[in-house]
Amino acid sequence: MRGTLLLMVMPWLLFGSVAKAQDTEGLPTLDILRRSDLVVNAPQDQEFTLSMILIDKKGKEKTREAKIWQKGADMRMVKFTSPADQEGIGFLDLPDDLMYVYLPAFKKVRRIASHVKNESFAGTDFTYDDMATINYSEEYDPELLGADTTKCLVLEDKEGKAEWVSKELKHYRLELTPKAGMKKDYSKLIIWIRSDNFYQTRIEYYDQRGNLWKIQEKRKIKEVDGYWTAMEVEMSDLAKNHKTRNMIAEIAFDQGLTDKFFTQRQLKRRPK
Amino acid sequence: MRAVSGAETIGRTMAIRIVLLSIAAVFVAPSVQGQVELGGYVLTDSRARLEDGKLLWNENRLKLDLNASPTSEAHVFSEFWIRGFGASEAATTRDLMGLDKRKSNPWDLVLREAYVDLYGFFTPDLDLRIGRQRIAWGTADKINPTDNLNPDDLEDIWDFGRHLGTNSVLAQYYLGDVTLSAVFTPGFTPATLPPPDWAAALSTPIALPGGVEPSNVSDELDMPVNTLREAASVAVKIARPVLNYDLSLSYLTGRSDFPVPMRVVLAPVDSNSVNIHSTLVYPRMSVVGADLSGAIRTVGVWAEIAVFFPEAVYTTVDMSALGLGQQEVASLPDEHFARYVIGGDYTFAGGLYINAQFIHGFAHELGRDCLHNYVVAGLEKKLRNDTVKVTAAAAVEIPDSAHPGDNYAIIGMPEIAYYPSDNSEIACGVRVIGEKGQTSFGQLAEMDEGYIAFKYAF
Repeated sequence: MRGTLLLMVMPWLLFGSVAKAQDTEGLPTLDILRRSDLVVNAPQDQEFTLSMILIDKKGKEKTREAKIWQKGADMRMVKFTSPADQEGIGFLDLPDDLMYVYLPAFKKVRRIASHVKNESFAGTDFTYDDMATINYSEEYDPELLGADTTKCLVLEDKEGKAEWVSKELKHYRLELTPKAGMKKDYSKLIIWIRSDNFYQTRIEYYDQRGNLWKIQEKRKIKEVDGYWTAMEVEMSDLAKNHKTRNMIAEIAFDQGLTDKFFTQRQLKRRPK
Repeated sequence: MRAVSGAETIGRTMAIRIVLLSIAAVFVAPSVQGQVELGGYVLTDSRARLEDGKLLWNENRLKLDLNASPTSEAHVFSEFWIRGFGASEAATTRDLMGLDKRKSNPWDLVLREAYVDLYGFFTPDLDLRIGRQRIAWGTADKINPTDNLNPDDLEDIWDFGRHLGTNSVLAQYYLGDVTLSAVFTPGFTPATLPPPDWAAALSTPIALPGGVEPSNVSDELDMPVNTLREAASVAVKIARPVLNYDLSLSYLTGRSDFPVPMRVVLAPVDSNSVNIHSTLVYPRMSVVGADLSGAIRTVGVWAEIAVFFPEAVYTTVDMSALGLGQQEVASLPDEHFARYVIGGDYTFAGGLYINAQFIHGFAHELGRDCLHNYVVAGLEKKLRNDTVKVTAAAAVEIPDSAHPGDNYAIIGMPEIAYYPSDNSEIACGVRVIGEKGQTSFGQLAEMDEGYIAFKYAF
């Protein structure tokens, strides 16, 4: 049974929010990264439904759907609502590497250890470690590689109708290497951070031999309830020639979720 | 296979009609639509003996789950199995003529669970679950010594950990990070046993006088009287995290769900053979349990122990018809015994998953001298974007730790599963047994089998 738990990924972390744009010229590199971390973790809590589309090298797609609740950076609960063979599976992630899974077929909540952190979840291209790396400034040393412009989809008002428009936006480009003592699957990351709102739009992951391994792109970034949010995130695994596209269907921030919600009691309940 | 009475046939027909009408109502009644969700799977499982191709298992199962949440404080769940099972039992042309097709095409209906959850009952921190239900206790993987609330369902000896539902009330009270559970089950339900070909693994050979062979072996069950005093069971558990481990302590008082012989009568058939008739009882017992789960660095670990305090059962072996008088032996001595499991799991870089457990005492082993040791280990690896899963599992049974080379059984269970699309799975594999001396699973050495199973969830 435990084996079946191990191939599940936590892509929800990749959706966050950012603060308002401000003048950032001349900021030290570490401050750029810290600001980016702060805006990603800005909401008190969030609740959203997510579609995860798995796309193989032939373009064949599989879809998983889940409801996700998150409080701060380190309390979250996921409940899969489809496909049928994963419906009802729940996952609870708590501070201090406490992780639990609920498997309705066995009527049991199981503790799972942190060896799963480098494994994918539900066959997606995201790993637990991808999820856990929210506060990059605490786990990586940054180096500014430069600033450049990159095309992004921006929501614009066109004759009273909101439309996604491709625009060139200025980005900081940082190289992140794990701090001493940090055990990571990646030798380095290269991250693109928008200079107007500090939102991370692209992350390149390099393996221990220095080869580009995975690319994460965040798209359709818009303001929801005062928080910037990527409505679509895609992770491509270049080694497997496989990618996962996550799309938010509904999202709500600051619903007043309490710590009491993030418990095994709630994990066992069927989502409405 | 047992015969089925006319009344029983009518009862089954009525039951399946009720189920189908209920399901149809979900789709028809507008007031129910959107409240009741229907799910489940279709499973086809065929197994054949490697030696001669004899079909050992032929099951086609439709599992139906119904979920309803009429309010945010209530949830209703039921699970049915509708199965075509086994081979045709038709013995005469009359068996082929009836409207009921059970003789020519055996089928079965099982109500696995049907319960109501009431959240925040009376006080916000109390949840109740009332009805037929499966209450799974224990932190070990599938083999759980503390999991004694529901009787074992050993119909499929390879489906470790399957239990029957019981009509129970489960109350869970949440006090901070402490969870208090209490269970009351008013009636007694015995464990189900495997078909005769496999049942040998769970039975103790009867020692007969030299040169005497059994001719006809029969038995009868002396079931507990159906009163609360005799049939009910009660259990409590407290669980909480301690030092980054999840701990729980439990206590249960009830009965063993496996029978123990109370009287065995040997009657001569001729000079070389005897008929054997046994009367079996379900002894009372109390169980004190403890379990923990957590991690040592990044390795998942768990441990579980149950100490059983049984009511003693002394078996009278009546050989007076053989001129040997009566003997009395303690089948279940008045002494406590402990079953336990210690295990761990880990995932290596690249996704190779390993799980291993040491087990002292299987579910059917009662009494300190009957407990065997088992080591179970499995490797699992997913390939081709999780569309293929390869599993290599093995178990070793060691009845006598002092002389492991004299008595042992080794079971190999390699399997490959293919997932061509979401919800679908095709699995095939073999189960092969090697043995030496006297072991439980060694008695299945002639039952090496290959299998193929298809499952589709909806």
